[in-house]
Order: sequence, then C-alpha cells, then structure tokens
Amino acid sequence: MKVAEKYTDADLISAISSGKDLDRAIQFLYRQFSGAIRSFIMSYGGNEQDADDVFQETVIAFLDNVKKGKYRQESSVKTFLASVARHIWFNDLKKKERAGIREKKYESARDQHEMDISHQIGDVEQRRQLRELLTQLGEPCHKLLHLFYYENLPMKEIVEHLPYENEQVVRNKKYKCLQQLTGMIKANPALAGQLNELIKK
Amino acid sequence: MSLQRTNALIDHLDKDFAGADNRISPETAAATERLIAEDEEAARELAHLQLAVDAVQEAGLYQQVASVRQQWESQGLADERRIESTPEPQQQDHPPAEAPSGGVVRNLYRNTMRAAAIILVLIAGGAIFKYVRLSSSSLYSEYYSSYELNTSRGAASQDAIEQAFTAHNWTEVLALSADAKTSTNKTEFLAGMADLELKKFDDAIAHFEQVIASNTHSGQDYFEDEAEYYLAMSWLAKRKVNEAMPILEKIRANKEHLYHDKVEKMSFTDLRLVQYKENK
Repeated sequence: MKVAEKYTDADLISAISSGKDLDRAIQFLYRQFSGAIRSFIMSYGGNEQDADDVFQETVIAFLDNVKKGKYRQESSVKTFLASVARHIWFNDLKKKERAGIREKKYESARDQHEMDISHQIGDVEQRRQLRELLTQLGEPCHKLLHLFYYENLPMKEIVEHLPYENEQVVRNKKYKCLQQLTGMIKANPALAGQLNELIKK
Repeated sequence: MSLQRTNALIDHLDKDFAGADNRISPETAAATERLIAEDEEAARELAHLQLAVDAVQEAGLYQQVASVRQQWESQGLADERRIESTPEPQQQDHPPAEAPSGGVVRNLYRNTMRAAAIILVLIAGGAIFKYVRLSSSSLYSEYYSSYELNTSRGAASQDAIEQAFTAHNWTEVLALSADAKTSTNKTEFLAGMADLELKKFDDAIAHFEQVIASNTHSGQDYFEDEAEYYLAMSWLAKRKVNEAMPILEKIRANKEHLYHDKVEKMSFTDLRLVQYKENK
C-alpha cells in the first residue's frame, strides 16, 4: 500500500465526494486518525479488536455522511470522527451490557453535539444488519447490485463482469435482485422500526 | 403492487446512476413521479427499495474500507499508526481528550531519531566525501606555501641567486646554482625550492637531501629546518606519504623546529587516512 498523501479537511471532503481515489482517502484516515481513536477505545475498556472495529465503523459512517452530503463541516474531520467513534463505542458498550459504571460515568460527557451525531450517522447496529442481509442475498445478485449501485458502472461495463448475454438480461436480473433484497428487508423485524421511520419522513 | 409498477419505481430510483435505462421516455418518468406523489403504497414501496439500495451502498463501502484496513494491517502500518497519527484527542472537549497521549512522546522521539539519523548520514557522507578526495597531493596543495627568502639585509646586499629567487625567476635560480663554483646549503636549498616551484619534485628532493646530508656530515644545521620541511612537502607532492610522515612527525615533536607551528596545524588524521588509503 502506498503511503497516503496528506489532505486538508477540504481536500479530503472533496476526494470522498468525488469518489476518485477513495482508497487513498481511506488510507489517509487510517494513517492520520486511527491511532488516537484506537487509544481512546482501548482506554475505555475496548480491546484491540474492538478498537479496530469501531474505527472501521467510524470511517464508514464518515464516508457515508460525506458521500450523501450530510457532513456539514461544522466541526473538523478530527472532531467529527472522534464524536462518531465515541458514539459508536458507547452504544456498543450498552449493547454488550458490559458498560456498567464506566458507561454511566461517561454518559454525562454526551452533549447535544453527540445527539446530532447520532441523528447524522443513524443506528450503527441497523447498518450492520443491512450489510448482513447482503451476505444472505447470494453472490450473483450481490455482485450485480454492487456494480450498479456502488461502483456506479454503466450497463455496458456491468455486462462484461457478469455471465449474462446482454444488457437487457442484466437489467431484468437487477429488477429481480433488488426486489428480492427489498423483500428480505421487509421480512426482517429488526429493521421494521427503521423502515417505518423512513416512510414517515 | 404489480411487478410492472415496482419496476417503474426501480427505474425512478436508478435515474441518477450510470447504468440507468436511458430508453425510458419523459412521459413514463412523469407518470411514475405522479404515482409516487399520489399513491401511498407506491411511496412506501419506493422507501423500501431505497433502503435496499442504501444497504447495497453500505455493504460496498464496508468492503472498500475493510480492504484498505486489511492492507494497512498486513503491511505493518498498523504498528506505526500510533506514532504517525495526529494526537487528535487533545483537541476534543470529551473523552478522546483524556485518551493516552503517548503518540506525542513517540512523535517527539521519532523526530529526534530522524534528526539524529540525518546528522549521522551527513557526517558519514562528509567523511566518505573527504576520504574519496583525500590524497598526498591534495594535502600538498592544502599545506604548501612558497618559501620567502629573508631580505632583512636589503636587496642591495643580495647575491645573484637571491635576487633571482626573490624575482621568482626559477630557471635563473637553477642556472646560477648549477654554475656556482662552490655549492652551499643555501644554493642547494634555493635550487630545491626552484625545482619545487617548477614541480620537478625528484630534483627538489635531491637538493633538500643534499642539504641534510651536508649538515649531517659537517655537524651544522644551516638551512636544515627549511630543507626538512620542504623535503616532506616534496614527498607529499610525489604521493609518497610514507616518506613524508617520519619527517613531519619529527618536526612536530621538536618545538624548537622552525616549522613546528606550521606542522602542528596540519591534520595528522588526514595524513594517516592518506597513508592508509595509499598503502592499500
């Protein structure tokens, strides 16, 4: 892996928003911020694995926010990442039921800003469940939807990656795959709440 | 909801993606938008589909970050991250500010080590450069200075060879020395210096050795110190540091020697380096 180049906050946001060389932006996030955030997680009861996982979730939440234009740049990237990591870790502690006194002790540290973060990044557990659904979808559908909705490739290029005859076959397959995934989401009780909230908006 | 309607909603969702079906007419697109606005079930289904797309994008992002993380960890950069990372928590109002700030210390240590490494490299580079360019002749060029004849007695009292020497007429000095009926240490020495100026080092050495031999024979020391010093310089000029070293060490050991101070200022480290280099 090449050493990530240096970014200002503005450059980083721009690189993530454009999607160009996203790997390099992620490398920069790891190089620049993972140490401090891992230290924080480990100083509040997390082990190395927890720290790595929380940082990974933090990066994903940050990237998602920036890509969707929800990151308002009211705070620096550093501050934002720290808030997200803190939010994720406290929620993990709560869910793992091992927070106890420690969690209560630091609960007071949460302020309105963290509430805003919570609103911005959504429920991390639900995001994990959504990802889990993809693994149940099956490789052909997952790959097709990934190429279309994540890689954002034109249909002509998608055909080259898949064992289908032409664009129309791929298009028909995609309709079916997305409907299948939608059906799985509807059938997942844990996601029902999020669905209802989403629909109410 | 019919399959046709669901597919129309999917087409509506897809319209901003590169793989969108561009054969959909504006009329069809407008009809789908009306459907979403007016039909609650259609709006609900669209929200479900949107969440499915979100799930795909979330999973894609997860894969990409996981891939970078894996590379990061497998290439050992994980060990460096605490050192290289900015001490972010110090700028927070909350818990990260209380996180251990070992990164700062390690950063300082790392920077100090880097500076030390750079200095070492520079010193080593300088030493290598010096070693490469050091030679007997380079030392000769560095330490050689022309001999100035003592003219305190005034130009009028100078003999012909002294006048030629003062005028830097080296050929004339050599001619007069050769023609002299009686060779003295002075004429030998001046002839040696003229040869040295003309870079006829072997001839210069012969003249200086003649002065020293003569003094040894007579028990005098007339032009002895001058002859010794310039004999050593002649050997250096001829890249014969082994011959020059004993003479220079002898001069350095003798505080009464006329050229003691001059030799004292020479770098014997350099001389020995040259000796090592030329004896290899």
